[in-house]
Amino acid sequence: MAKMELAGMMLEVDEHGFMQETDRWNQDVARAYGALEGVNELTEEHWAALNYLRSYYLENGICPMIRRLIKETGFPLKKLYDLFPEGPANSACKWAGVPKSTGCV
Amino acid sequence: MAKNKPLKLTDISREVEDRLADIDIEELIPLPPPYDKNGGLPGITQLSDDQKQRLVNNLDGFSALALPKPKNKEEEDKYVRQFEAGLKKLLRKGDNWTFLQPLLLSLEHCVRCQTCSEACPVYIASGRQEIYRPTYRAEIFRRLINKYAKPGGKWLAKLKGADIELNWATISRLFELAYRCNLCRRCSQHCPIGVDNGLITRELRKLFSQELGWAPKELHEKGTVLQLQVGSPTGLRPNVAKDNLEFLDEDFTESLGIKVETVWDKKDADVLLLHSAGDILSFPESVIGFAIICDAAGISWTLSSEIPGYEGVNYGVFYDDVQLARVATRHVQIARKLGVKKIVMGECGHEHKALATVADRLLIGDLNIPRESFMTFFENIVFSGKIKFDPTKNDFPVTLHDPCNVVRNLGIVEPQRRILRYLCPQFREMTPHGVDNYCCGGGGGLAVMSDVNINDFKAAVAGRMKFKQILEAFSDHPGPEVKKYLCAPCLNCKLQLRVIWDYYGVQEKSGIYFGGLAELIVNAMADLKKPFINWGEM
Repeated sequence: MAKMELAGMMLEVDEHGFMQETDRWNQDVARAYGALEGVNELTEEHWAALNYLRSYYLENGICPMIRRLIKETGFPLKKLYDLFPEGPANSACKWAGVPKSTGCV
Repeated sequence: MAKNKPLKLTDISREVEDRLADIDIEELIPLPPPYDKNGGLPGITQLSDDQKQRLVNNLDGFSALALPKPKNKEEEDKYVRQFEAGLKKLLRKGDNWTFLQPLLLSLEHCVRCQTCSEACPVYIASGRQEIYRPTYRAEIFRRLINKYAKPGGKWLAKLKGADIELNWATISRLFELAYRCNLCRRCSQHCPIGVDNGLITRELRKLFSQELGWAPKELHEKGTVLQLQVGSPTGLRPNVAKDNLEFLDEDFTESLGIKVETVWDKKDADVLLLHSAGDILSFPESVIGFAIICDAAGISWTLSSEIPGYEGVNYGVFYDDVQLARVATRHVQIARKLGVKKIVMGECGHEHKALATVADRLLIGDLNIPRESFMTFFENIVFSGKIKFDPTKNDFPVTLHDPCNVVRNLGIVEPQRRILRYLCPQFREMTPHGVDNYCCGGGGGLAVMSDVNINDFKAAVAGRMKFKQILEAFSDHPGPEVKKYLCAPCLNCKLQLRVIWDYYGVQEKSGIYFGGLAELIVNAMADLKKPFINWGEM
């Protein structure tokens, strides 16, 4: 298993850097992920998307559909790409500390 | 990067950590502009130093499987012994009754004419790299079988000079090499004798899975295992699936101005629609499109919320007979329990292969419930006269991708074309098409696999022939100013296209959008006031 040091913690991650132990996530981890992708400050808009993603995942065991994320946050897809450089699936989910989506999605 | 040295079959067992080939973007077949300037395009991601330390990396610089390096010689030897035992099992009827006959035919009758190689999109696109030649993999496998699984084989192998050593290097390389093939079976179709290299590749994968416990995470642990446990490899549980469709019903009802309502668990309906759950999550227009079409045609239909009755995928097709049988059996049991007259297989190619081809040998007696492809199902509806169409609504360039498992495998060629010729005034074929199509590059499970850097192989190599012919089909409108629709009626193909699209930035550069067949049918419905295909949201 790959390991990665983030926000002073040694985390188990997959080969793309997604956390494997989601309960070890905290806000500093999200900030550290953001910094790795060149986003040095997380705004309220970032947190609105991240908090929704994370709470949806914890409740449902899966990331929300993009359509839901757009409706829930009020951010169109383009805006989500502005906030998260690699997009909702590859950046936002990662920063929110949830595993990478797999299985025909 | 230096050109690869000529590769011998015996190189597969070279006991060094060396890669057998390096894939250089400059050596791949050229693409039409603006994708012809390799300098300005993404390259191939190399493994990091940390990954090189941890992971086996001895084939071609790609890693689909992230196989950890063995701890010691004992561990290596254990796997080599298991592999040898597995080779023998493949030849025993009791252990391999499903595929023994075609396997033997393919092992015995190759005349090494190489017709198959020229039919293989991976081999051709790679600039004819020996490592991807369909017979390279198959011939090594054949010689291993002859040497290690047949009586007197070791002695004969020495005599014939066909001596491939079974060691850790051989099996670790073969494991990755088994996942550089799309199982598209174009090679088999072109073979004058009918030797099936795709089948050989899958037998190899099956051996690894069933004997060594080696399978891609995305196909096994997070694939069939998760599907049988929670309902879907996506992790979508029944209650979440229903909740999502409730959301989508409302969303589309609001945006289209017509009532959209998903039907769940309706006893004795005529049709159980078996979609892929990934369509609900990533391409919901497809699932909603089916609902609109069925309602407009007055069909009695339902979805199932039983595990895994709302998830039509069956990754067992790609790597494991036992898992394949478990999933397929559950699908028909669910249909039987609901009392439906038939299952209609949704826009998913390998679902067709699982339920309509392989299951024909598996599901007999009471389990042999009728299964129909969405292609013929839609054709009957479109030409029934029950729905009024206005084809001018689809007056934009459209081309069609043929999913291998529906078209080459089942021979369903014309129904989808009759629909498109009727409903899409600017429909044009790509070349070649129909049963001669090229795979999208995501076949054989690759569409679902994304570990380490395998997406770069999928986009740059495996999907290259497909991408080239798509661009050529739209060469009259190459730029983004004219929006064009690629009809790719298979979820796996769409996921693979998304990888290609992200890799090259196709939507921005060429204005090509992709989606399924249902969307085009709904978009052409005369009574629908608003467009169903919404280019901005795709």
